[in-house]
Amino acid sequence: MKTLRDPYGGGEYVVVPPLRPDVAVIHGRRGDREGGVVVLGGRTDRLLALAAKRTIAQVEELVAPKRLRPYQDEVYIAPIHIDAVVVAPGGAHPTACPGKYDLDDGHLQEYLASAQDPDSFDRYVKRCITGPENHEAYLKEVGRGDLWKARSIGWRG
Amino acid sequence: MEGQINRLERMIVVVARLLKDGQTVAAGTLSPIPAAACFLAKETSAPGLLPLIYGDPDNRLTEGLFELFGLAQQGRIEVFFLSAGQIDGQANLNLTVIGDYLRPQVRFPGGAGSSMLYALAGRTILFATTHSRKILVPRVDFVTAAGTDGGEKIPWRRGFADCLVTPLALFRFDEGEKRLILESLLPGATWEEVAENTGFPLGRKREEVSRLPDATEEELAILRGKIRRKLKSIYPVFCRNLWGGDEL
Repeated sequence: MKTLRDPYGGGEYVVVPPLRPDVAVIHGRRGDREGGVVVLGGRTDRLLALAAKRTIAQVEELVAPKRLRPYQDEVYIAPIHIDAVVVAPGGAHPTACPGKYDLDDGHLQEYLASAQDPDSFDRYVKRCITGPENHEAYLKEVGRGDLWKARSIGWRG
Repeated sequence: MEGQINRLERMIVVVARLLKDGQTVAAGTLSPIPAAACFLAKETSAPGLLPLIYGDPDNRLTEGLFELFGLAQQGRIEVFFLSAGQIDGQANLNLTVIGDYLRPQVRFPGGAGSSMLYALAGRTILFATTHSRKILVPRVDFVTAAGTDGGEKIPWRRGFADCLVTPLALFRFDEGEKRLILESLLPGATWEEVAENTGFPLGRKREEVSRLPDATEEELAILRGKIRRKLKSIYPVFCRNLWGGDEL
């Protein structure tokens, strides 16, 4: 920690350098082909995207640019801050994408239990992380295949 | 064909050709020529261009100019555009006042962020929509945005002017000599016309100045079609004055 004298008001202050993550991965509700993304407000996703050297945004659906306007509880992140958009409906599972799906409490309990010992944790990793060949297979494996179907409401342009 | 191309259309095409694929470029208020040039470049030679055009409904920034200034501070605006009421040979810009500061003949709206963005953009393309001694002066009456770091007032800057584009000519900014030097004439313009209407030394002899190729039919078709339709929502008056009517 270093200190600096305030050149305007005097006084000594502790200063820290800004955090610059190499990569940020955020989850948005909607994204478009230009790289614009809309995320839920009241969170730090946009701050992360602005701070990181590269940002990957996974989104629930790909939409036409017009549908990217943020609603009252949403925040827009401009394409200049986004390096890649990945269409991944249900991509926040087992945590929540509020408004789309809730926290999967049953799955999280299962994860917590399996994390108690290395063998059961390995089985969890194999079943849910390294095992499924893609995201769709993962959702089916954890019993949330319905989230993948949401993809069909997206915009194909 | 040549007689049918408007001089501002030629300017737009010249500016568009200056932009390189993959660059992040930004234009602020009252900048229809740069806006059109960015859109044209993206449709032709630079599909990977990222234009941040003030007022563009298709590419907003969450926090508008506040965010743009932050990006400039981070060094992420590679090319910016500026114009001014007066521009001199040292690429100084006057957006403040003509005549004495306390008893002005003309009071301009002010510099907005021009000084800061001129210093923090990677490079700045200057433009003037008319080429006259009123605008291109030997020395600006007031330095709103400094072209060089000649004085001690500017501690650090990232970039300088790259060039100045007018309806008649393209001047390059020479960082060594710290001044604008005539490089090329736009189609239809003559050396005499440029010499007669420029208030600062051209820096080149007539035979040293090249001539830029004219707009192609393809460039004009895209400019008058897709770009015109897009630009209309941002700069309706400019579009009406340049292309007339509202029929599209």
